[in-house]
Amino acid sequence: MTRFIIIRVLQSIVALFGILVLVFFLVRASGDPMRLIESPNMTTAQYEAIKAKWGLDKSWGEQFILYMGHLAHGDLGKSLIRDQPEIYMIKLALPNTLKLIIPSFIVGMLLALVLGITAATYRDSFWDNGVKFLAVLGQALPGFWVAIMAVLIFSVDLRWLPVAGMTKPANYVLPVGTMVFFMMPGMMRLVRSSMLDVLDSEYVKLARIKGLPERLVIWKHALRNALISPLTVAGMIFAMFITGAVITETIFNWPGLGRLLVEDTFSRDFAGVQAITIIVAIFVLGINLLVDISYAFIDPQIRYQRS
Amino acid sequence: MTSLEMTQEDRTRKKYLGIIRRTRLTRNLTLIIPSIILALFVIMAIFANLSWLGLPHVGLAPHDPNLITMRDQYLPPAFVAGGKSTYLLGTDKLGRDILSRIIYGSRISLSISMLVIFITAFIGTVLGIIAGYAGGGVDGFIMRVTDVALSFPGLLLALLLSVAIGPGYWTVVFALSILGWASYARLIRGEAMRIRQSDFVAQARVSGASSVRIMLRHIFPNIINSLIVLMTLSVGMVILAEAVLSFIGVGVPPPTASWGSMVNDGRTDIDTAWWISAFPGICIGLVVLSGNFLGDWIRDKLDPRLRQL
Repeated sequence: MTRFIIIRVLQSIVALFGILVLVFFLVRASGDPMRLIESPNMTTAQYEAIKAKWGLDKSWGEQFILYMGHLAHGDLGKSLIRDQPEIYMIKLALPNTLKLIIPSFIVGMLLALVLGITAATYRDSFWDNGVKFLAVLGQALPGFWVAIMAVLIFSVDLRWLPVAGMTKPANYVLPVGTMVFFMMPGMMRLVRSSMLDVLDSEYVKLARIKGLPERLVIWKHALRNALISPLTVAGMIFAMFITGAVITETIFNWPGLGRLLVEDTFSRDFAGVQAITIIVAIFVLGINLLVDISYAFIDPQIRYQRS
Repeated sequence: MTSLEMTQEDRTRKKYLGIIRRTRLTRNLTLIIPSIILALFVIMAIFANLSWLGLPHVGLAPHDPNLITMRDQYLPPAFVAGGKSTYLLGTDKLGRDILSRIIYGSRISLSISMLVIFITAFIGTVLGIIAGYAGGGVDGFIMRVTDVALSFPGLLLALLLSVAIGPGYWTVVFALSILGWASYARLIRGEAMRIRQSDFVAQARVSGASSVRIMLRHIFPNIINSLIVLMTLSVGMVILAEAVLSFIGVGVPPPTASWGSMVNDGRTDIDTAWWISAFPGICIGLVVLSGNFLGDWIRDKLDPRLRQL
């Protein structure tokens, strides 16, 4: 087990290094970032001073060593446009994104579990078909479009909900709803299919033969085991949340990380995009590592197979 | 055998025949309806205009998609009060015809997704076969990269690429391909591992076939079914991903019409001109839905084992 964990940690570090190298070269692929900063009335001396300030006068090799050195100290660089440390902007935006993600995660997870489990329990019933229909629709309709149509119906026509702002609970309904729309259908499908597998297993049959009430069989014996497979896609759920946050924050003018990222992209502030990418990459690798290790704890087969 | 039993048996048989007929009908409907919808969109894309025949002014699109007519701005669809019959689905803020833009937009959505699907399927198949056949360290390395690619948010990389190389048609193709191969690699690797165990591969090896020959002539033909299934199932995903990119603004740059960017165009006018966003979104939903249904149908026909996908 220790060996397995050590190998996985080392692999994650190598993968992180790979991503850092990739990001470094990608953001410089466009050539000279100075083209974005320079202005016509700059003197040559000013131009050179700015170039030196951002370290752009050095060779790529030197720049890379500097970049890795800064990263090792937790320094994510300065925004080229705002002349502020990028970490400052991220610290401002992150809480707003969490305010969006946490309620969405709780609501989405609960809905996915309740709908998925009840659908699996009453397989092929009217309810199950309804849930399947919801999943099919949820995976086909573009989330950004559904959000805009929801604004049209609930804010413009019915005037029930506000479009912008983030102070009142009512402000959260549409953005959280959009986020839930992004993650819930896939999750629900997964819960349903893994629940169906578990309900078909020997130990659930045994629990029934023992004469346990159906309520206990479903919510205790079956649910516990059905929860393992959604756990393995935690990394993908995280990726869905990132996509969801970028789109939701754009539509509802939510001042979070997603909108910061889009703004940085349009101002071609590569330092900003780079910093957010690196933070997300660290999260992605960390989550995958945790999932792998916890999964190996739960299921011994994996432990022996992979190490 | 009494007459009562006969009728009982008849009744059971009749019931089951009915069920079989009904499932057959629904199964065929999930083939026919999506195929027709997809075919219509493909025809729309091909015949938007006939410039590829040297006839740029002949085609399905009633107007030039980028023609700005300010006096016709914000016209509602023809079937709503105030609409003009020349603009069937209305006009946008610049007086451009929504229908024509949807027709031209189908070119962007469909061509990008076709390209991306073929590129990702190719890369994923090559890597998957190599990983599954070689095993050991090669397999471990490729699968680690695949794991990272599978869980990395593609949108983030697309934004980064758009900053790095600038927005454009090929940037979108590149951004969608750079991570998309991973699901192919994972599936194909599993198949290749399974096939490698089989007798005919062992016999080929004994008879002196090289590794490349085994991979190409013995393993590849046996994974084509799974490959086709995954390719059809990913049509919807790629169309949605392209729409998300153009909605955010890092897709094919304006004025080129694309469905995602059209939905975004109407976002700020949603309180007065709902039709600008509504129709392109419906098109995205229709194509994705059809792609998913068709993919399910093909999977059930070719490779029902993949139902978990």
